[in-house]
Amino acid sequence: MDTSNPAVFVNAELLRLYVGPRVRAVIQVLRSDGGVVTGQSTDDNQILVKGSPPSPLSKFVEVVGIADSEKSIHAEIWTNFGDTFETHTYNQLCQLANGEFKHLFL
Amino acid sequence: MYGSQFDGGAAFSGGGFMPSQTTQAADPSFSSSKNREIQSLLPLTVKQIKEAFLLSDDKSNFTIDGVDVNNVTLVGMVCNRTGRITDVTFILDDGTGRIECNKWVQELVDSNEVEGILDGMYVRIHGHLKGFMGKRTLNVFSIRPITDFNEIASHFIDCIYVHLYNTRLRKLQGGVTTQQQMANSTSTPMKGSPAAPPHQFSGQYNVGQKNIEQMVLDFLQLPSSNADEKGVHCDVIARQLRVSMDKLMSSIQNLVEEGLIYSTTDDFHFKSTING
Repeated sequence: MDTSNPAVFVNAELLRLYVGPRVRAVIQVLRSDGGVVTGQSTDDNQILVKGSPPSPLSKFVEVVGIADSEKSIHAEIWTNFGDTFETHTYNQLCQLANGEFKHLFL
Repeated sequence: MYGSQFDGGAAFSGGGFMPSQTTQAADPSFSSSKNREIQSLLPLTVKQIKEAFLLSDDKSNFTIDGVDVNNVTLVGMVCNRTGRITDVTFILDDGTGRIECNKWVQELVDSNEVEGILDGMYVRIHGHLKGFMGKRTLNVFSIRPITDFNEIASHFIDCIYVHLYNTRLRKLQGGVTTQQQMANSTSTPMKGSPAAPPHQFSGQYNVGQKNIEQMVLDFLQLPSSNADEKGVHCDVIARQLRVSMDKLMSSIQNLVEEGLIYSTTDDFHFKSTING
């Protein structure tokens, strides 16, 4: 068992707090230019995701990687989440997992 | 008659993690919470397991939020999958940590199940936590690829809810759950004060004290009955409880109408609503 390298649930607002460590976020893909994908975070802000996106990308994509700036993630893992996704629920979870119930996650 | 033929404690002793009737009767330190929660299936994060494991001093079984950990369910991504003839091992990364998992492949249905599981896939796992030589692995009963990705958020929300329930709500109720009171409203011994722990297994199978409905309900709430997502086939219930199919089906119908159990994949498999 190893809990030394968790991936924190983040939205755009929380991403700013985690520059450096591993994070996980779900984005709605807005644009994909080569290796950079612009996505809408679950709290309705824009974030940039770098790396090697798979092709094709579905409407919603989960990325896991290093937060390399306040608004961008260098993704190691991309998972297509399909064309429908409850972003509101996910966003609430981001907040709970970084707030009152952080000890269950980090 | 019935009580002499069927020892619930022995029949459902799930790999030695469930104490027998005699243990419960003889050991006063056995608290009501342990007694009751033995049936539970806990949704957990790897972080919770790791933390509890560190506090447990490497004992064979341990508790999380005051509840014995037996069967658990996790959601995460499969990594480092290694398939062998007899078993498949892999690491489950749920984002809070990584845990070693092992699935024995005994029958064709098992190999079909694990064949479709690949690295990088999100899966829902049901399993049993097993400690050996200071190492804790998850012995997997069931592994299912996730197709609706809302299930990931749903699982972690479940973890939060169950944690909240076990740490706060359960205490508010004085250690006796509403579930138990609801499920056992027909049997007076259950209505004792929290100081008198509800000995769930002792006396549970005495003849005449409980009708068939109660027996069916108790049977469906056992952990072994919840191991399979489909629930239990009515033939199995009839065989285990040694009641005729006619009597069983009318009891089942009543329980369904009362909303205490429900049919799953077809009209012959049933699960208790309490266990989800």
